[in-house]
Amino acid sequence: MRPILLSGHERSLNQIKFNRDGDLIFSVAKDKIVCAWWSANGERLGTYTGHQGAIWTVDVSPNTILLATGSADNTVRLWNVKTGECVKVWDFPTAVKRVEFTPDGSRLLAVTEKRMGFLGTIAVLDIAYGEDLTSQADEPSLRITCEESKATVAGWSFMGKYIIAGHEDGSVSQYDGKTGEQLENVQAHEFDHQINDLQFSTDRTYFITASKDKSAKLMSARNLAILKTYVADTPLNSATITPKKDYVILGGGQAAMDVTTTSARQGKFEARFYHKVFEDEIGRVRGHFGPLNTVHVHPNGTAYASGGEDGYVRVHHFDKSYFDFMYEVEREQMRR
Amino acid sequence: MSKLGNRADWADDEEFDDPSALPAQQITTNKDGTKTVVSYRFNDDGKKVRVTRRIKTTVVREHVNPQVAERRSWSKFGLEKGHAPGPSFDTTSVGENIAFRPSINWKVQAAEEEKNGGEKGGMKDQLKDKKVKCRICSGEHFTARCPFKDTMAPVDDSAGGAGLEGGDEEPAAGGLGAGTSSYVPPHLRKGAAAGGERMAGKYEKDDLATLRVTNVSELAEEAELRDLFERFGRVTRVFLARDRETQRAKGFAFISFADRDDAARACDKMDGFGYRHLILRVEFAKRTT
Repeated sequence: MRPILLSGHERSLNQIKFNRDGDLIFSVAKDKIVCAWWSANGERLGTYTGHQGAIWTVDVSPNTILLATGSADNTVRLWNVKTGECVKVWDFPTAVKRVEFTPDGSRLLAVTEKRMGFLGTIAVLDIAYGEDLTSQADEPSLRITCEESKATVAGWSFMGKYIIAGHEDGSVSQYDGKTGEQLENVQAHEFDHQINDLQFSTDRTYFITASKDKSAKLMSARNLAILKTYVADTPLNSATITPKKDYVILGGGQAAMDVTTTSARQGKFEARFYHKVFEDEIGRVRGHFGPLNTVHVHPNGTAYASGGEDGYVRVHHFDKSYFDFMYEVEREQMRR
Repeated sequence: MSKLGNRADWADDEEFDDPSALPAQQITTNKDGTKTVVSYRFNDDGKKVRVTRRIKTTVVREHVNPQVAERRSWSKFGLEKGHAPGPSFDTTSVGENIAFRPSINWKVQAAEEEKNGGEKGGMKDQLKDKKVKCRICSGEHFTARCPFKDTMAPVDDSAGGAGLEGGDEEPAAGGLGAGTSSYVPPHLRKGAAAGGERMAGKYEKDDLATLRVTNVSELAEEAELRDLFERFGRVTRVFLARDRETQRAKGFAFISFADRDDAARACDKMDGFGYRHLILRVEFAKRTT
């Protein structure tokens, strides 16, 4: 496969998202712009400018009308996807590390940083898709405060029933999506190893976490049971579950700033493919010059995009060998 | 004359071909369903060019989500505002092809590939079946370790000479007196005369009639030197050493004559000759060892 290199950012990538139809890719980086790309050919549709600081996170509404971004300038901005205009700005006391729409797009969660005496919170904002996109509620409809360990990532489970959050201390917790009450907390990863990414499967019944403790875990959204564990040899920044084929893609790499403080040599900047069920590593895709900060897969499972510390987005459209690969047991089952 | 009289002015003649006009495009439909389009245009040199294109139309029916189709018509915004449709070269490029073949034991395969592709492994493989062979006695040891090293000449010397051919100051057999140096190269030793002769090759004769000219001006040209020396006889070769980068003469040249007598005469006459404000020094080319 021939990757498409997108070089619209001047600094390291923070998050990449495909929209639900998979025709657009949104990327955010430490520079202050958001880029929208056509996934098929890598053409840039446009940029969304207005943020004053590094942008940590991006998400697009399921109907691809609104785009939400969270930034180090302590704001969440809502954009009109089509025109690139900013339609709403919410101010927060601290930086926003993660935003995500509910599966129906009616609500948006924002994870805020713990800093300057403020505790980390998860705020839920109601989103309206009226004629006038600028008329949005000013105040969050729900606010969850993380007293113990701040949340680093969060997402909505199936039908927006739960909010699943990954914490700085390596634990994963489940909150009620309506009331914000904490239902469960599981120490999924090693203690004090931050969870860097949390991405759901297509039906949002299970999700994958990527942690600094060099492992990724597949967990059930209903009861936070650990279903599978994928062990890597490097800290992981991102993980995603591929539809169509039962794989997971992990992205990571030794951060340049840690190279001198760890025994690991610099490198391993590859996207790792594991089989979702058998937990075996089945291949790697190299190409980045720095750690992979984010990976996201096309909703149809035909392509994936990775963004690295090197400032490049690489979009890979899978070729035949990717789809043909099967374990012997899978093949036997096919024959039956 | 009457015909001409009808026209008011020949310049107004509408039938007159305007040289800048291009013939109309022709489209013909071929039997196999393809179309041939013949069009004319001017190329960069202002010449008229006929362009023939054969077009085969294939209808590919594709089901597209209407929302996606609607989005395809969106115009660009932000930094891309006003840019032409299609990927722009400063933001989008295509990377190197990546062979991605998932497999259960990919680690083993990757290690093997690295081994095969690596330079070290390749060289080792090449030399795996090579046997050590002495050039003197063809025994299975290095030539330097040969017990007959001092007493015998190499069995076959042709391999050694090939690489040196073409040099300007080729050493030749007999050029080096046995008395001048205590060291005698193996190919000049007794009983190895044949090998030595072969090594000098076709330049041997040339070298006997080659003059070495020094103190040549920087601005010298081969042609000028040839003219200077041609009057003594047929010059077979003029070599003017030049600086690799500046292409200026380095200050010395070699002139080969067809006949050694001519060369001797030229050497006699041209030594001390003033050329481009410098006094040439001419001598027979010495063989370097």
